[in-house]
Amino acid sequence: MSKWVSLALATTLVLSLAACGSNSGSKDNKGSANSGSANATDKPAEKTPDKKITITFQNIYPDPTDPKNQIMKKLVDQYHADHPNITIELDSLNTDQQKLKLKTQAASKEVPDITIVNPAAQMKPFVDAKLFAPLNDMLDQNGLGATFQEGLLDWYSFDGNTYAVPDGNNIAVVYYNKELFEQAGVKVPTTFEEMLEVVKTLKSKGITPIAIGEKDSWTGSFLFMNMVLRTNGGPGFLQDVVDKKKTFEDPAFTEAVDAFESLVAAGAFQEGATSFDYNAGENLFKTGKSAMYFMGTWATGGIETSSVNGKVGVFKFPTINGKGDPNEFMLAPGSAFAISADSEHLQETKDFLNYFMLNFPKETFEAKGAVGIGQVVDGDFKAAGYSDMAMEVLGLFKEVKGGDLAFDNTMNPGTAQVHLNSIQNLFVQKKDASEVAKEHQTAYEDNNK
Amino acid sequence: MNVLKVSRFTIVAFILPCTLIYFGIVFVPILVSLYSGLLDWNGIGQSSFIGFENFRNLFFHDPVFWPAVRRTLMFAVFSMAEIPIALMVAIFLRRYIRKPNFLVSSYFMPVILSVVIIGQLWKTIYNPAAMGGMLNQMLETVGLESWTRSWLTEPAVAMFALYFVALWQYLGYHTLIQFTGISNIPSEIYEAARIDGADGFKADRYITFPMIIPIFKISIVLAFIGSLQAFDMVMVMTGGGPAHATDVISTHMYNMSFLSMKYGYGSSIAAFLVILCLIATVIINFIFSSLEKRFS
Repeated sequence: MSKWVSLALATTLVLSLAACGSNSGSKDNKGSANSGSANATDKPAEKTPDKKITITFQNIYPDPTDPKNQIMKKLVDQYHADHPNITIELDSLNTDQQKLKLKTQAASKEVPDITIVNPAAQMKPFVDAKLFAPLNDMLDQNGLGATFQEGLLDWYSFDGNTYAVPDGNNIAVVYYNKELFEQAGVKVPTTFEEMLEVVKTLKSKGITPIAIGEKDSWTGSFLFMNMVLRTNGGPGFLQDVVDKKKTFEDPAFTEAVDAFESLVAAGAFQEGATSFDYNAGENLFKTGKSAMYFMGTWATGGIETSSVNGKVGVFKFPTINGKGDPNEFMLAPGSAFAISADSEHLQETKDFLNYFMLNFPKETFEAKGAVGIGQVVDGDFKAAGYSDMAMEVLGLFKEVKGGDLAFDNTMNPGTAQVHLNSIQNLFVQKKDASEVAKEHQTAYEDNNK
Repeated sequence: MNVLKVSRFTIVAFILPCTLIYFGIVFVPILVSLYSGLLDWNGIGQSSFIGFENFRNLFFHDPVFWPAVRRTLMFAVFSMAEIPIALMVAIFLRRYIRKPNFLVSSYFMPVILSVVIIGQLWKTIYNPAAMGGMLNQMLETVGLESWTRSWLTEPAVAMFALYFVALWQYLGYHTLIQFTGISNIPSEIYEAARIDGADGFKADRYITFPMIIPIFKISIVLAFIGSLQAFDMVMVMTGGGPAHATDVISTHMYNMSFLSMKYGYGSSIAAFLVILCLIATVIINFIFSSLEKRFS
């Protein structure tokens, strides 16, 4: 048995010895990574037009039944036919996997030619690390830039350069099941106080009032930030915190916490909400087991193809204590395509993405997936056979008077994680609003030293 | 060493490739992560060397870390407490069942199932009764409504719900190990003991227990190290939530490295975990070598 002990001791010894040498080792690593990227940027210069080229296209459309997956494949096939020397290699992952994979790839400076990022604060670390190529020239090419909704590209621009182009631009709404509302004899609420009453009535009739997939903690945060948008009397609360005009201990924030807690206390969410992931939460609504569902308008397509299609309406999140404007929404500029700065075939990649985005609106419109895309679509939705709910959602888009981005798109990841956990905690534990505020403020200060 | 009658050179030549690979995939990453633990680095951009600042924050300012360590150690304690039970099961199987192999293999089944499947399975079992949760429905059927709860989302019970699943999954594993150990004890010893009047539990006390100690130790080490690294099951079932209530060291490390994008900080947690594993192994070995000396 002493063999084991001596083995363990020897291991620790080796560890401690080698630890002294590790410093120089990783310096070497860094050097080689740099020289690697220098080589990569030299390469496009020596390319020949007919050389076989492979472009890696990392994306988040892995589901073959999703219209976006079909559109992507169609456009890629088309491009292959037009450009025989170019191969587009698809790397389709679901959102979480893609986020993780990209971070791992970024750490070793091996970003795929085309990848997916989220707007504003979430993509900033990548831009700061100079991993993405500026796409200004690509946007000028064939007038691509003009196809995007006005101001949308700002969320993806830093210091005058645009680094990514989004596939969507959504707002947060409340979907509701008309049949269940009728069954409980309630009407669409126009104030938060009415909403609480609706929740209580639904609950007493044995209907789950609101479905939420709170295991993915951003869902609760998204709803909570909509409440802050109301109690703050308008957008810009988080920006004010960043600009040091306000702190999280501002009454607007604590009032939102109180409102949120009253919703939880009224039994608004399904039992065990924090163990439901996004899909499981959404399925509750899609199978008619819950009466309301707060989500970004990207959910429209999924609800249309579910069993509750035809029974669903949408309404704007109501005012709280008479504060806020229902026409201000949580804005969700979509995930976006970015191009690696170290791409071996930068120009070809830009050409492909240009082609892809130019054809994206037309194709999605035909596939009935154009609700909430980030580009201007020509065409009559009604005539094309879009559902009443889709038309209702499109109607809401026209009434948008601004709003806020999600928390993790505004704050750095460190602060965002504390926030997400703090809100998730409200689902299971009652906590004083001032304590929640303090927790946020401490996290914000810790992460912005 | 020379019983094999080969030169030292041959021995070196044959073990070198494995040694190199082993160092490359075990020690080099450990060292790199130890070093990253000294950096202020988001995993993407520039890093700066900050010495032991990460460790200082980890030990003194992180409200999640110590509870996570406590849960991890509890996990280890529970898994180790399970092993005597596995031993009892193994002894009973050996003694009272004529063809025990089938049962042992059945008990082993959960181990070869993917953790994701197990997690999903138990998630459904733990669900609220309204969502088809089997456990709560059973409690209601037998009139224990007051015992029903949402097992995975109440901070006070969620972690125990997770412990239970891990224990359930690995009972068969340890039973198999113990069972093999018992089967390897020569039957002549038992026969001789029977002649001397030692049967049943007396035989266990004086023959099985002392002779199984080395096997028992393997189980203990495996259970301990395994539970220190517990990650997949927690991730699948609760993701460390609600609000950190089920975070263990490794999920905290994951959250910090990949979600909060504090790669350096996450690495310092990883370093802590490595060191914890090493210390634990040394301690367990120490305890067992003294135990063995006492019994043999």
